[in-house]
Amino acid sequence: MAVVTQHEALMEPSPYAMDKKKLGMWVFIVSDACTFGAFLFAYGYMRIGAPVWGTPFGLSSIVNGMVMTAVLLSSSLTMLAAVRAAQTSTKAKTNKWLGITMLLGAIFAALHLREWIRLIGEGWRLFHNPTGGATQFGACFFSVTGLHLTHVVTGVIALAFVARGFNQGRYDDSHVETAGLYWHFVDLVWMFVFPLMYLMNAH
Amino acid sequence: MSANRELAMSSYVGIGVGLMAIVCIEVVLTFQHLPARTLLFSLLCLAGLEGFVAIMYLMQVKYEKPILFWTVFPATLFVLVLLCYLWPDAFRMFNMRLMQ
Repeated sequence: MAVVTQHEALMEPSPYAMDKKKLGMWVFIVSDACTFGAFLFAYGYMRIGAPVWGTPFGLSSIVNGMVMTAVLLSSSLTMLAAVRAAQTSTKAKTNKWLGITMLLGAIFAALHLREWIRLIGEGWRLFHNPTGGATQFGACFFSVTGLHLTHVVTGVIALAFVARGFNQGRYDDSHVETAGLYWHFVDLVWMFVFPLMYLMNAH
Repeated sequence: MSANRELAMSSYVGIGVGLMAIVCIEVVLTFQHLPARTLLFSLLCLAGLEGFVAIMYLMQVKYEKPILFWTVFPATLFVLVLLCYLWPDAFRMFNMRLMQ
């Protein structure tokens, strides 16, 4: 008598027709999108309610933000190239594109920290406004951008693990694709954080 | 993902350039010193457009089965719309501020 040992043989095919890891990443992305959404709504709530709001960003900060956006967008493109390379070409090519993506992520984080250091140097803190207005600006800005920066740093570390595993043959192209999905999500969030946190607070 | 229907890398570079162009438009609008409400509406529309392009092409939802889109996005948007319950109280505070 034939014995079925593979559980998958007894299960219906997924209606999503995608890898389990990728579907799990989509579930994570939905929950994370709601988290960022809640942060941005709270920012809007506080901003409407505050009598005077801080607008600390001049042209140099906005240009810095544009460079950060360009770096993050470029890293999304290099991530796409890494996924393509993992699906069709060699490990060396995949590692090259993953390495460039990590480097761009690190540059983004460095530029972000530079902006933080400038603001802290001017006296902005989580609960302090050096101009004497509403203190909520610092709380909103450092919380939202800090959460995003945490995602970028986590993404760089995750990509390093995926690259190592892919190199050693433990991971395949689906792992690279799943990591890429996360990376594009980080880019997507920035597309809302930049206009709402930087451009709406420019003077 | 059905790889045979995906775009060439050069097309993705074009999408990236297009997204950056939208960011430039956002910055130009910012320095036009528009009323806050107009600027916010414009920036949200442009960010929404950027987000849609990123989801469809960078996150490649366009090449997945439609069930993924219909499972994920209406539910997420529903949650975000529910968060709008905050606005009446925010505008209450806004109006109290004007009366001071």
